[in-house]
Amino acid sequence: MWKTILRRILIMIPEVIILSILVFLLAKAMPGDPFTGSINPKADPQQIHHLMKINGLYDPWYQQYWHWVVHLFHGNLGNSYQYQEPVTRLISGRAANTLWLALFTMILTYAFALPMGVYAGRHEGKLPDTIIRFYTYVTYCIPFFVILVLGIWIFGYVFGWFPTTGSISSSASGWLSTIGSRFYHILLPGILGALFGTVNIVQYLRSEVIDAKSSDYVRTARSKGVPSKDIYRHHIFRNSLLPIAAFAGYSITGLLNGSIFTETVFSYPGMGLLFVNSISYRDYTVITALVLIYGILNLLGTLLSDIILSIVDPRIRIE
Amino acid sequence: MDKKKLALSAMAVLATVSLAACSSNKSSSSSSGTNASVKLASAYNNTKPTDKSATNNSTLKVAEPNDSPFQGISDPVLSTNSEDADVFSPSGSDSLWKVDKNYKIIDGGLANQKINRKAKTVTITLRSDAKWSNGSKVTAKDIEYPYEVIANPKTTSQQYSADFNHIKGMAAYHAGKAKTISGITFPDGEKGRTAVLHLDKVTPAMQYSGNSFIWSTVEPYEYIKNVPIAKLASSSQVRKNPIFTGPYKLDKVVEGESTTWSPNKYYYGKKAQIKHISINVVSSNNIDKAIQSKKYDFTVPASVMHGTDYKQLKNLKNYKMIGQPALSYDYFGFNVGHYDTKTQKNVMDKNSKMANKSLRQAMMYALNLDAVTKKFGNGITWRANTLIPPIFTKYYDASAKGFPLNIKKANKLLTDAGYKKRNGSKWRSDPNGKKLTIYFGAMTGTSAQAAEYQDYLQQWHKIGLNVQFTGGKTMEMNSFYSTLQQPKQSKIDVYAAAWGLSSEPTPTQLYGEDATYNMGHFVSKKNTQLINNMNNDKAWNESYRTKAFKEWQEYMNDQAAVAPGSFSYNWGPVNKRVKGFDVGPDNNEFWSSLSLTSSSLE
Repeated sequence: MWKTILRRILIMIPEVIILSILVFLLAKAMPGDPFTGSINPKADPQQIHHLMKINGLYDPWYQQYWHWVVHLFHGNLGNSYQYQEPVTRLISGRAANTLWLALFTMILTYAFALPMGVYAGRHEGKLPDTIIRFYTYVTYCIPFFVILVLGIWIFGYVFGWFPTTGSISSSASGWLSTIGSRFYHILLPGILGALFGTVNIVQYLRSEVIDAKSSDYVRTARSKGVPSKDIYRHHIFRNSLLPIAAFAGYSITGLLNGSIFTETVFSYPGMGLLFVNSISYRDYTVITALVLIYGILNLLGTLLSDIILSIVDPRIRIE
Repeated sequence: MDKKKLALSAMAVLATVSLAACSSNKSSSSSSGTNASVKLASAYNNTKPTDKSATNNSTLKVAEPNDSPFQGISDPVLSTNSEDADVFSPSGSDSLWKVDKNYKIIDGGLANQKINRKAKTVTITLRSDAKWSNGSKVTAKDIEYPYEVIANPKTTSQQYSADFNHIKGMAAYHAGKAKTISGITFPDGEKGRTAVLHLDKVTPAMQYSGNSFIWSTVEPYEYIKNVPIAKLASSSQVRKNPIFTGPYKLDKVVEGESTTWSPNKYYYGKKAQIKHISINVVSSNNIDKAIQSKKYDFTVPASVMHGTDYKQLKNLKNYKMIGQPALSYDYFGFNVGHYDTKTQKNVMDKNSKMANKSLRQAMMYALNLDAVTKKFGNGITWRANTLIPPIFTKYYDASAKGFPLNIKKANKLLTDAGYKKRNGSKWRSDPNGKKLTIYFGAMTGTSAQAAEYQDYLQQWHKIGLNVQFTGGKTMEMNSFYSTLQQPKQSKIDVYAAAWGLSSEPTPTQLYGEDATYNMGHFVSKKNTQLINNMNNDKAWNESYRTKAFKEWQEYMNDQAAVAPGSFSYNWGPVNKRVKGFDVGPDNNEFWSSLSLTSSSLE
């Protein structure tokens, strides 16, 4: 097992290098540069050239790449052109925001979806199943941003129960009120995200439960006289979790992806908007840093999924 | 031109859907006209008495409509966008000058300026009670330090203007050849109150704030001197704990989200009345809902709100819509030449596709800008008649006709110039009988903009011109500008774009012979002459200068190489509990004039 993990990590090194070169080239291949379009009639175009020059943007790509790699090993991802501050600081601030929101959403999603999935599977074809299936289909087919806009309108503006912008109240001070305010700010987007993000888990779990119900080990358990409640809790549930475990690794590493929609509607400074904006601004340092981070996280995600799978299901343990 | 105006397609979709999803569509009833069909006042004249306890205890809540977090650079020398300027505006933005309604610098601000035409010097004298919000004195060095930051070879600032080279020693410092700027001196020492700028020429433009020769803000030298200039923008002195000279001091900034303010007891001017102010970024997708549910007192006066928002908000009982013509205009540019990189001058090309004046005029007369702006602008955008926006009341040529719809005239212009339909073709060919296809460059934006572009194409087709989008569709902003800014390009023949202006409107940097931003490359002796007239020796006389601006506007309209598209209001909703709200240029005490008439929003 450990050998496998080590081997997988070793293979990741060349993958990351290739990824970084590709990202670097593609970013530079986009039309424009960090300063196009920021044309202020009073600013001297020569100054823009000067800024391009001191930032090395006229150098050949391999030189730029080399500088970037050297800096990378010194823990320096460069400065954002748009924000004029170190990329590491910029990203860590946003990552913290995104992480809290995503973690909260994920926990809620599983908390809603797991019982729903099992319950629907157990009562296949009956009214509760129909209701749950109907619910998941409806939530699946409504575009998420519509939900967000409606949600913020109804609960944020009309009822005024939740804050409508930002990640923290400007009047929060002291650690208790800071944490409280942060939590209050992720409550509405988190609940909306969870309520409308259940479809995958519910559907997978439901069909697995239905399959498992008629499998041999369940029949054996029943014939032994194990109470139905225990069969579901100990036998069916655990086995039905397999497909969900398969993408759990991704869900964990995907926590940092952020959501453009949530962040736009709630003016919540997170990773999703940062990524999209950095692309439209041609903020090369931020683009490359983010893609690299996402790339590494994805590779780790697959590894993590494999590890989780092998823990849940000893039969497919990789050697 | 601000990158923030770039609407990502995802965002555009989001915006339209959000409006459709929860809007009570009331039909707009704006009347047409060559001027704005809606007349907005630049001040809200609230006659109710100020409520002392409300002003002391409740918080003035201000919204900054924007789709992404602000960048958080409080220093005007380093910041590059309007969001930062907006959220830090209660600080007074460290402005040196007091101005009148024409943005002319007058005595009584943080500093006074004296221009000596003989000696070619500008003397800037600080008022004796000028202090930073930490209590320390504003000094002569603080006047000079912005130039050091802007011109430092390692700076991140984009503000260096070519006109700074007229300050003696500036170019040498900028190139790293000198350690100090020799042309800026301190008669009574760095700690004194006076700085003198020695220039190789002085021009009438220097009398106006926002000119490109004299920087208009101060930097707290003592407070930031230990931070290397290259790292200034990321320092806590600029981001977390900045100090200012204006009516309010910063209490707290939540990065990208909000700022909170309280009165600065060291402020020299009118004392701030409201004790607490908070400014929050609000997504433009729900700014209308936020205002309708009375979450905010007003939106930051400098921010841009669109016509669709106006339609949503104009009938609110508790809010008054306040605005003034924006310091910007939309325009159509024609590509008539190229930029010679050797001589660093624009050259007009007599044989270029768009070189014919009649063709350009005809294309402008074919457009139905009155109808388009009426339909999509909801009254706060209207057809522009000239290239100086009406906010410059003195220079704006109200009598200019511009290009109202006149298909007949357009057809006649084309036919007379030899652009005829030949061999039964649907399209006109050029006077030599060659096929004529004109490429229209336009930036991808909102769905309303897309509809406007379609209308332009339709109108051009109507007069028999085969006009098509460059590359068959609208262009992403970066490719649009990188195409246009190439020294020589033939992909775009006509384009729609916009300029934001500073408060001094001399157009040298936009349409001058050596301007790299002159992206259509229109150059003529007369144009150079007319632009130079605005700032020659005679232009110290106000009426001469005004005449020079009007002559230039008339000439540009006749040539139609750059043609006016639309003007709009810079506006926002103001809650009726706010008193003293006035965005006019001559209100130099915007923030400290504000007070409240009740403790909760009306």
